[in-house]
Amino acid sequence: MRLPRLFRTTPFRLTLLFLGLFAAAASLFLAYIYIATAGEVTMRADARVLREMTSLEGVYADGGINALNEAVIERGSVDHPMIYLLIDPQGHVSGTITESPVKAFSGERTWVSFSVADKDPDGVTVRQPARGLEEALPDGAKLFVGADIGEAEFYVNKILRALWGAGALMAVLGLAGGLFVSRNVSRSMAGLTDVIGKAQGGDLHARAEVRGTGDEYDELAAGLNDMLDRLERSVGGLRHAGDAIAHDLRSPLTRLRARLEAAMIEVDAGRSDAKAALHQALEDADGVLRTFGAVLAIARLEAAGDAPGQSVFDAAELAASVAELYEPLCEDKGQEFQIEATPGLTMRGNREFIAQALANILDNAVKYTPEGGAIMLRARRRSSGDVEISVTDTGPGIPPEDRARVVERFVRLENSRNAPGAGLGLSLVSAVAQAHRGHLDLDEGPGSLDGGGPGVRVALVFPSAG
Amino acid sequence: MKLLIVEDDTEAARAMVTGLAEKGHQCETAGDGEEGLRAARDGRFDVLVVDRMMPRMDGVTMVETLRREGVQTPVLFLSALGEINDRVAGLNAGGDDYLVKPYALAELLARVEALARRRELGSVQTLLKVGDLEMDLIAREVRRAGGEIDLQPREFQLLEFLMRHGGQSVTRTMLLEKVWEYHFDPQTNVIDVHISRLRSKIDKGFDKPMLQTVRGAGYRLEA
Repeated sequence: MRLPRLFRTTPFRLTLLFLGLFAAAASLFLAYIYIATAGEVTMRADARVLREMTSLEGVYADGGINALNEAVIERGSVDHPMIYLLIDPQGHVSGTITESPVKAFSGERTWVSFSVADKDPDGVTVRQPARGLEEALPDGAKLFVGADIGEAEFYVNKILRALWGAGALMAVLGLAGGLFVSRNVSRSMAGLTDVIGKAQGGDLHARAEVRGTGDEYDELAAGLNDMLDRLERSVGGLRHAGDAIAHDLRSPLTRLRARLEAAMIEVDAGRSDAKAALHQALEDADGVLRTFGAVLAIARLEAAGDAPGQSVFDAAELAASVAELYEPLCEDKGQEFQIEATPGLTMRGNREFIAQALANILDNAVKYTPEGGAIMLRARRRSSGDVEISVTDTGPGIPPEDRARVVERFVRLENSRNAPGAGLGLSLVSAVAQAHRGHLDLDEGPGSLDGGGPGVRVALVFPSAG
Repeated sequence: MKLLIVEDDTEAARAMVTGLAEKGHQCETAGDGEEGLRAARDGRFDVLVVDRMMPRMDGVTMVETLRREGVQTPVLFLSALGEINDRVAGLNAGGDDYLVKPYALAELLARVEALARRRELGSVQTLLKVGDLEMDLIAREVRRAGGEIDLQPREFQLLEFLMRHGGQSVTRTMLLEKVWEYHFDPQTNVIDVHISRLRSKIDKGFDKPMLQTVRGAGYRLEA
């Protein structure tokens, strides 16, 4: 059988555990108090009895059995007396009791714990615990002295009862407190569990409530929400990538298939050369593979979170190295190329990815900037400490309303339809920036100069290392 | 050239063998790492072409084992894993070059030939010579038919690579990897511009152009 949910919660179990530990400690403490107080009561009674016995022995030594008898009667008649019993050698008894509680007298001295009947203030007879000592006197008489320890025992019992009561109260309060805490915790956790359950079921939109109390549940909820945000983005990206791959591979693959089919018919009929058809098919296949590779690279970067294989390097040196690769191309196309890099731009990242991102940006700039235009590569450290690598061109630019869109996969603006490329360049750049916790900025270029377009300024921004 | 192809995809292996045999190379195939290890142990091959992921024994383990046993045959890794860390892992295991799938046959051929050539040359050279073109690696001077040619540092590196592989096809990707040390394909053909600049420096004024374009493959420096 399973316990109700509330009793299975961790706080409740912890409460039970601590309650158990506390009860064990309290029991030990109780036992100690009992032994200490009860022992003390007996010891004090014994001392009193012994004192009285010594005093009576003195009376006996001074005045013999008659003096002792008188003393016993006299001392037995005061209020709250001790218990006396004198049995002379002839068997006559005197004192406050009629019969010795000592059943097996050993000859010399015998201690005994016994009980005496007494009347309480209401006249009810109660039996009280007592301690006593019996001694044989030299002439054959026996003297018994006892002390009532009922009152002391009464206090000990009172203390014991108080202790038990406190223990019981503590157990009840502890259990109630445990239940209360468990219920509160359960209620706090229920929201989180609910969100996790939904996420497990595939609903990544659900978010846990952050109450703003700043406690550990809030932290947990905020962390969970953060994780879900990232997961949702990543899954969304993958889903989008899947759709995009399906969409973008389907058309070239269909084209490839149709071309092969047509070629087969043509070749069969002897009207066409098989080689040309195969050549075209190879080119189509290469195109499909390139697209696939780019989409895969983006998806991997997005899935990885932080870019793998990071090292510390100089961004200025990297910019110069990529610039060196592209400069001849610009010159060939009649574009003016300029680089401005502040040395010592130490940053941390995956050098290869960032080089590729910069190469993609330069590819675009070279592709869209007309002859006679200018391309400017700049690497600098912003006053915030971020490292910025930017490329400004004097091409047709990107209208502000399209800037957010061009970063998406496969988006190619109308006026770029006739330029080669799959429309994945800037998506990859953006993915690289995000994998370094940086971002991609698209801005207005230098404006319409010398009949050129407004141009565009593409900036990769990486947060300062450390 | 004698080649061993270690690849579990028999269809891919068959296509490779067809292409390589066409160029006059003798090929043997092995279907997994264990088989490849047995075949490669005696060192009778000029180059091993090894797929990274295979059943029973993967390519990295196979090459590690070979290198431990002292077999120095050059290895070209083939892999669908193209990330830098995968590449580094392959090269650390003792691979000499790394080619990411899918690849063009011309790329495979060029790399296999480059690896075999590197083995032939062996010792460190300080003077490279292809036809009437000479390169002094210590003085960092280049002459053609005695006349000095002034090259930028990158042009010098580019020509050095081409001269070391004189008479062989080298692909654009190989040049980008070995000269610039980048492992991605630029979308536009940036390498062509560098080549044409170099060409204008070394072939200008000579009747016979040395730096030739190989259709569908890349470039070749002919004596």
